[in-house]
Amino acid sequence: MDVDRNMKVPINQLRLMLPVVLVAVLAIFPIIGTPRVWLLYLFLFFVYLTMANMWNLLAGYSGLTFLGPAALIGLAGYTLVIVTWNDLPFYLGIIGGGIVAAAFAALIAVPTFRMRGIYFAIGTLVVPEALRYVFYLWKPVGGEMQGGGAGYMIKGIGELSLTEFYWLALAIGIVSIFLMRIILRSKLGLGLAAIRDSDRAAASSGVDVFRLKLYAFVIAAFVTGAAGAIFYIYQGYIAPASAFNIRWLMTCLLATVIGGIRTEEGPIVGTIIVVFLHFLLARYGALSLLIQGVILVVIMLLIPEGIVGFVRKTRAYRSLAALAAGR
Amino acid sequence: MSEPILSVSGVTKRFGGLVALRDLSFDIQRDEAVGLMGPNGAGKTTLLNVIAGEYKPDSGAIRFNGNFITSLPPHKICHLGIARTYQIPQPFVNLTALQNVVVAARFGRGLGKAPAEKEASEVLDMIGLSEKKDALAKDLSTITLKLLELARVLASKPELVLLDEVAAGLTEAEIPKLLDTLRKVRSMGITVLLIEHVISVMMQAVDRIVVINEGMKIAEGAPKEIMEDKKVIEAYFG
Repeated sequence: MDVDRNMKVPINQLRLMLPVVLVAVLAIFPIIGTPRVWLLYLFLFFVYLTMANMWNLLAGYSGLTFLGPAALIGLAGYTLVIVTWNDLPFYLGIIGGGIVAAAFAALIAVPTFRMRGIYFAIGTLVVPEALRYVFYLWKPVGGEMQGGGAGYMIKGIGELSLTEFYWLALAIGIVSIFLMRIILRSKLGLGLAAIRDSDRAAASSGVDVFRLKLYAFVIAAFVTGAAGAIFYIYQGYIAPASAFNIRWLMTCLLATVIGGIRTEEGPIVGTIIVVFLHFLLARYGALSLLIQGVILVVIMLLIPEGIVGFVRKTRAYRSLAALAAGR
Repeated sequence: MSEPILSVSGVTKRFGGLVALRDLSFDIQRDEAVGLMGPNGAGKTTLLNVIAGEYKPDSGAIRFNGNFITSLPPHKICHLGIARTYQIPQPFVNLTALQNVVVAARFGRGLGKAPAEKEASEVLDMIGLSEKKDALAKDLSTITLKLLELARVLASKPELVLLDEVAAGLTEAEIPKLLDTLRKVRSMGITVLLIEHVISVMMQAVDRIVVINEGMKIAEGAPKEIMEDKKVIEAYFG
């Protein structure tokens, strides 16, 4: 008994302290001479983590298997272009990117929410494709066509260094984690979980299914868009073929499913693996997508609940959790 | 007689060429318990779906407390005070039993977090499920899920409940418990519309029975009269 009581305090304190220390360490990385390439991979980690968290909110917690995150990211990227080409500050591009992505989500919600399950998934899969063709033809800020369609440099970010991109990405990554915590413990989170499990029973229990799904979709779109704009500030260049690319979906999907869909920690673990894979597979080009696909299939066959879901079921985790709870 | 709590008038519902409900009319008075009987495929569940707002009727109207509810979506009908169970339970499988009920208390009744949890615990207590309250719905047996449906419905504080075969699948020993629960529901001042194949439950739980066959009302009356009605016997036994 005494041992248990003594164990309880440090573990609980540790649970509070650990994230704070971790964030502080991550925040000082750029100013203590961390190698540039490390910072770059961490930058990608935070951007992808944000997108994966939002994808988990939709696919894992709201029953919205949204296969078109590239639409939000691409639109946010082009919003950033329009903002910076009009000599407005880049942070307006980030906010504007989020707003445009959110507005677009609200717009496509009206037709796509009429579809359920797999039909919603397929309906949203074609959206980025359609947008890609729009940006092959439409030059939002004029000028010559570069590459295929509306390829543009991002203007007015010359004075920004990797340190600043890094901090932006770190900030939105942390925001996305906290946002998930808040939403999942709120009335909205409860309603979304009910909709995911049975939209009929949810509606007949008084849940306004359309409205709640719309809230989740718009929130996720805003944050995904903002993360997309931050990515393009770093990239410095945008073109339709890469902006509306299925790779964005692959990244969200891999990170969420490998880590554990419908778990809060899943996307964190999954994104670490995805970024590590990017690092390992960087020189294999198109082959890397194939390898990632194979890994996805293997994970889905062996541990469909993902790494976090799997670990939670093990005996070691359960006894640790019991210890932490002071039992 | 005072104004009926529910008034179904001339409701027709077609699915393609199939007419599921044909010019169906009946009323339910406040505090009454009405049974809905009919052979398989008679249109009982369809009628429940139409009342609860899941289907729009092709013609006819439904009034609840005098207000037309025919074109309202299901969640608004729930807010007005009609709650339903499903013949095949539709639990929120990844939520605990308590959370299942909390959903109805928060969204149906509009309670805050703490009062909703208190209310949900009390309802589970009343139904006899308090031991299961922290179990995930996906780990519960079908029978428990049937009772959970009932708990979910009550947590939204309805004036009228639509119960779709709550007794199906229960054992002989569990039936008296269910009847007892139904009595409690009625003593809370809740009006009941009950679909039931278990005749003993029907006879004991309701004041009046409406019998439909092929989407049409063929008889209406006290349970005893209905059991002796020629048309009803014909519909069931051919």
